[in-house]
Amino acid sequence: MTGRGAWLLVPALLACALGTAGGAALTLRMSLHAPGTGAGLYEPGSWSLASWAVLADAHHGRIIATTVVTGLAVAALSTAAGYLMALAAAPLSGWRFALAMGLILAPRLCGVLAALFGLQRLLPRGWPGGVLAETWLVAPYAALVLVVAMRGIDPALAAAARGLGAGPWLVLARVVWPLSLPAVALCLQLGWVWGLGAFLGPLFLGGPDQATLAVEMQRELFDLGRWPRAAADGVVLSLLCLMAFAASPRGARA
Amino acid sequence: MPTAGNAPSCAPAEAIRLEGVSFRHGAVRAVDGVSLGVPPGAFVTILGPSGCGKSTLLGIIAGHIAPAAGRVLLAGADATRLSPEARGIGMVFQNLALFPHLSAIDNVAFGPRARGAARVEALSRARAMLARVGIGDDEAARRPDGLSGGQRQRVALARALVTRPAALLLDEPLSSLDTHLRSQMLELVLRLHGETGIATLMVTHDPAEAMAHGDILVVMNRGKVVESGPPRRLYDSPRSEFTAGFLGPANIVDAAVAGLPGSGRVLVRPEHLEINPSGAAFTRPMVVARLEYHGHEMLATLADGPLRWVARGRGFPPVGTAVVAGASRVHPLETGGPP
Repeated sequence: MTGRGAWLLVPALLACALGTAGGAALTLRMSLHAPGTGAGLYEPGSWSLASWAVLADAHHGRIIATTVVTGLAVAALSTAAGYLMALAAAPLSGWRFALAMGLILAPRLCGVLAALFGLQRLLPRGWPGGVLAETWLVAPYAALVLVVAMRGIDPALAAAARGLGAGPWLVLARVVWPLSLPAVALCLQLGWVWGLGAFLGPLFLGGPDQATLAVEMQRELFDLGRWPRAAADGVVLSLLCLMAFAASPRGARA
Repeated sequence: MPTAGNAPSCAPAEAIRLEGVSFRHGAVRAVDGVSLGVPPGAFVTILGPSGCGKSTLLGIIAGHIAPAAGRVLLAGADATRLSPEARGIGMVFQNLALFPHLSAIDNVAFGPRARGAARVEALSRARAMLARVGIGDDEAARRPDGLSGGQRQRVALARALVTRPAALLLDEPLSSLDTHLRSQMLELVLRLHGETGIATLMVTHDPAEAMAHGDILVVMNRGKVVESGPPRRLYDSPRSEFTAGFLGPANIVDAAVAGLPGSGRVLVRPEHLEINPSGAAFTRPMVVARLEYHGHEMLATLADGPLRWVARGRGFPPVGTAVVAGASRVHPLETGGPP
């Protein structure tokens, strides 16, 4: 976008500056406060690395590792599930397409807590349950992105490939998959960021040993009243999200 | 002699044969009981207005569209239920449908690879085919968006031919090109057709293109084959008013109203309407109402009372001049025939 059109980005830039950058700066500052004493949540005006030092202990290492693995698993599973759903829905038209999209979006049509309560009854308790619950929540978004991408692929390309001798699987592997890769990368990013911030899934279905950073932050904030440590966890979480974006394929950012 | 029409017939060993093929788009009969034969090695053009079912017909032959009724025979064998990959037909799509993520050479090698050739062999065949259509190694390494319109057409043609198909379908592949490139590409298509002898079916909405290059011309309208045959016969002696009007400028009048011999609707081609003729079948006084300059020829609109006639020639008197015009050839059209 060039010229006067660039001004249309101002609201987005303001939201980023105030909401994201400002929030990140305040979180970083909070993490550098000394822990509170007595009933205090932190020592106002103080500077300390104490909350960061605790991140190096084995317990926190496990939490970070669980968070990363959860992010990877949710990204992979939600993208795979979304891809399958999109493959089924994208070629449909008329009421069949509307019905398929309704089914795909159905998990998002009821409250998250209600859905998780149901999943709690269906899924095993522990890390897999938490991951599956988060996948359940984010997969519809992945499917939406992929349906749009797949419907953007010229149907004549698949027809041309078939005419050249390719069966349906070869068309999928050599035409549809490569052309949908940018959307796949976008879904992996979406799933990764969602999975890193996994909170309700691990809270409802995860065991005590499978806490993620988000669950730990909630414990530090509301149960233990240690705001600087919660903030330090928040900064680590944000950095992990940013690393994912920096490592994303060029196509996903295009 | 190839056949085409709306009634089934059985001619053996034709490269392509359609028997009573029909297909609906919702309530619209896109293809309506079409029977059509393409002899081995023939170059057949299908001509018709937009939306008349030409492209749908190619889709049915290629196997991308399943007909609601009728049969598709390839080299005499029933292929109606065969998948597209099993038909062995090459096709150039209207938008070319080149794979945007592959280089030109990988586009062309796609077919041989899909049919089981090793990568080295597929690339070798693709390179040779690209050379035949005039694409060098430099262009071959580029993706479609790095090629010109004409180069993309050549790549699409090479991709369709590299698998040595039993028949080649061309779905208005030249429609996006300018006049100069069109004639270059058409020349290339005809040269390759001559070299390979592959039965070719080309869809076009350009009557001049269809008549100039097809051995057989098939005229379609509203999903039906209106007429088919050698282009010259269809131009000079069409059966239907639609064919007469679609193939070029035509004076189509009621013989009785125009004072022409015979009865019913008749056709007088503009080149058969002469000013101050000698030995014409009929003559009438007219006035030159309008002149159009077309470079190699002129079209004159002649007023004959309420009637308007079009004459083709190289020199006409100025607008407003009273002339005597006469038709050297009057062709009767069938009434109640095809649309």
